[in-house]
Amino acid sequence: MPEIALTTWQILLLKVAVILVVVPMGALVGGYAEHKVMAHLQHRLGPMYPGGFHGWATTLADGIKFLFKEDIIPAAADRKVFSLAPAAIMVPIIMVYLVIPMDRTLVVEDLDVGIFYLLAISSLSTIGILMAGWSSANKYALIGALRSAAQLIAYELPIVLSAAAVAMLAGTLSLNGIVEAQNFPFILWPPGIGLALFLVFVTGAVAEMTRVPFDMPVAESEIITGPFTEYTGMRYIFSHMFAEMGHMVAFGGIATTLFLGGYRPIIPWEPLELIPGVVWFAAKTMMMIFLFLWIRPTFPRVREDQLQKFAWKFLIPVSLALILFTGAWVLYV
Amino acid sequence: MATTEDRVVDASEVAAEVSRGNLLTEEMVLNVGPQHPATHGVFRLLATLDGEVLVNADPVIGYMHRGYEKLVEARDYRQITNLVSRMDWLSGINNELPLALALETLMEIEVPARAQYMRVAMCEMNRILNHLMFFASFGAELGAITPTFYAFREREDIQMAMEMTTGGRMHFGFFRPGGLKEDAPKGFFQQALKGVRQVIERLPDYENLLIGNEIFKQRTVNVGILPQDVAYSYGVSGPIARGSDISFDVRKDEPYSSYDHFDFNVHSAPNGDCFDRFWVLLHEVVESAKIVEQAIEGMPDGPIMGKVPRVVQAPKGEVYVRTENPLGELGMYLVSDGDRRPYRLKIRTPSYSNVSALPYVLKNTYVSDMIAILGSFFFVLGDIDR
Amino acid sequence: MGLLADDALRRVDTAVGNRLMDQRVDFGHVDIKVAPENLVEVVTALRDLEFLSCKFFTFLTGIDRSEYADEPGGLEVLIHLYSVEHVFHVNVHVPVDSEHPVCPSIVSIFRGAEWQERECHEMFGVEFEGNSNLSNLFLPEDFEGHPLLRSFKLPSRFVKAWPGAKDPEEASAGGR
Repeated sequence: MPEIALTTWQILLLKVAVILVVVPMGALVGGYAEHKVMAHLQHRLGPMYPGGFHGWATTLADGIKFLFKEDIIPAAADRKVFSLAPAAIMVPIIMVYLVIPMDRTLVVEDLDVGIFYLLAISSLSTIGILMAGWSSANKYALIGALRSAAQLIAYELPIVLSAAAVAMLAGTLSLNGIVEAQNFPFILWPPGIGLALFLVFVTGAVAEMTRVPFDMPVAESEIITGPFTEYTGMRYIFSHMFAEMGHMVAFGGIATTLFLGGYRPIIPWEPLELIPGVVWFAAKTMMMIFLFLWIRPTFPRVREDQLQKFAWKFLIPVSLALILFTGAWVLYV
Repeated sequence: MATTEDRVVDASEVAAEVSRGNLLTEEMVLNVGPQHPATHGVFRLLATLDGEVLVNADPVIGYMHRGYEKLVEARDYRQITNLVSRMDWLSGINNELPLALALETLMEIEVPARAQYMRVAMCEMNRILNHLMFFASFGAELGAITPTFYAFREREDIQMAMEMTTGGRMHFGFFRPGGLKEDAPKGFFQQALKGVRQVIERLPDYENLLIGNEIFKQRTVNVGILPQDVAYSYGVSGPIARGSDISFDVRKDEPYSSYDHFDFNVHSAPNGDCFDRFWVLLHEVVESAKIVEQAIEGMPDGPIMGKVPRVVQAPKGEVYVRTENPLGELGMYLVSDGDRRPYRLKIRTPSYSNVSALPYVLKNTYVSDMIAILGSFFFVLGDIDR
Repeated sequence: MGLLADDALRRVDTAVGNRLMDQRVDFGHVDIKVAPENLVEVVTALRDLEFLSCKFFTFLTGIDRSEYADEPGGLEVLIHLYSVEHVFHVNVHVPVDSEHPVCPSIVSIFRGAEWQERECHEMFGVEFEGNSNLSNLFLPEDFEGHPLLRSFKLPSRFVKAWPGAKDPEEASAGGR
């Protein structure tokens, strides 16, 4: 094997290139999975034709279709902000992937404050949603954007608090460190607390992704995909579909890292260690995505005020209590 | 937004107000429709919003007004059957019934028992189709997409039976003054029984899917309350009135087309909220299915057409005939001057009267409740505008 | 089953008999004729009296009898009420002036009358005194004429009679 010497910059570029491939691929697969999983949960087949085998190329075809659609900017819209908003939504989502460890070494940057970075960056895209809603000069978009912002504030807290509890258990903020520090059997440890933290995190994550039952900001039967009402073609794909899928894959990855032991095998058994970590990571992430997809056809939508009440009066107190328990656990057990 | 408002407020004024401790807010008029997914057609609602609260709602209708009451004056009775079938497109065959009944009353035609039973069976099957459709759309409006697919699966078998007999899936044109166009084809009874038995068997599942869901209850219980006296005063009928504790069903009160031969219950619920309306709707499906079963099992033999003169020509007179449409009381006030065309035909459609109560119910609700309320009023645009 | 129509008519007669221009039973429904000035009083009594309680407001419309065969009449407003408790119907016929049709509004008695009066106003040109909003409900704002009056002809039907108006034998070959 010839020696390949790469400079730091070259390695970094390579890693960035990998991310730029992984994110769209994840979104494509997520989109296809959404079509098929939902279809089969609703006793139908979903797309069957594009690509030949079970319509595997549907999302690809969809993407191409959107690519060729006219890019319409409403006359009353604030053009600059309107065209920038999709980027402001997409970029933070891609940046999330930078710190998620897909294997022991397969991570773009193993930051010491990984979890802190993750939580900070994942909420940035709301600024893009606000930009989109305000600049569209559309009342539905405005209502959607405001709902979205309110929802972010409400549901960011439970996510942060449950992640903080995980960091307390691991004793580190580095995501690699958290994965390594987790005990078997992952979410069931410490007993009760781990599972409760996981549930709080998933609830918050579903709300962050604005998916059913917390999809008030984009409720299509009501405010017609809210902030993205006026978007067409690729801008719509980037701001809504792609962002939602990207978010979903990212949150699947984060949940895997924080609660499911990341790239490590599910049980401590020597032969399982032979399977590459990235396979474990992908399998666990897909399981999380399946969970997210499963929630959607099951529930109706929660009303805006009920959604806020649920966050402030239930989820946040619960997560605070969980922090307390976690602290007690760390101190005394 | 600033460009669309004519009341431009000076920035300094705003600052002054805020410094006095007041929050300067404005109401916003949100135009819902005529093209909006929750309105099932071209229905428009001018909603005045204060934040998320609907201060006032003003429905605007008439986008689909086709002037039926004028059109029928230029057509003879045979043509009107197919015209009225297009009013409420989800319950076509139910629309044809009152016209046939009105003519039979004026012309004193005796309808054979088999035709009456067939009419009942088909009307009730159509009612199941209609109710399942609203079961689907109500779920979808609240964000639950799965009921749609379940409902459409159940609809299909019944739809096939209807198609087998009439050749149509929406607009049937099957009832004639004096009876039916044709007798039931071979296999119709089996297909219909299969369809309704399937509905009876699977409906409990659907009930669990929506009515048993905690989020669904949160969204619908005590939302959009229509009190009993208000319902009376707006002339609200059908499942919506029964949801407001009005036990009023034309099929029971004044049985037509031998509805008195069948054993069924009229469900009503006490609170008049979205949940109750939906509950009533869902329970009516089972009752209808039972009626279809009874009608088909007790189907008498005999002709399907009474003694009708070759030219349908009603004698002079005025008559008001009403039937229980899936959405409420459908009535026709027929004024005949002895011609082959009606002199005047007033069509009293259920959705029109039901929807006129919307401004009352929508006042001071949330935007999201507005969608739930619109969904729970089960209206069909063609039925409102005629 | 509810009241027999004759019994219902007797009850109506006891309650408001002296205010009626005409009363009879037609196809099992009570048919009464009321002058516009007595309308509000009669309808209120029909709704509120315990032994009538016609609380269900079915519809309000107009009928233009100006071309009624043999015995042309004038314009009238027709209100249909129904008693859910006692199961009987009342048709309230209100003859109005054909030139300047004016009728008192019953919105204060039945809320549902608001839309129905608007419809009657645009279709027949009847003015309802007391209804503050009589803008067009179905028709466009700038529509001229009152379509349901007999004098308003459907232009296309005027030029060419509807072919289906004839029986198959009468119609020429190719006629539908």
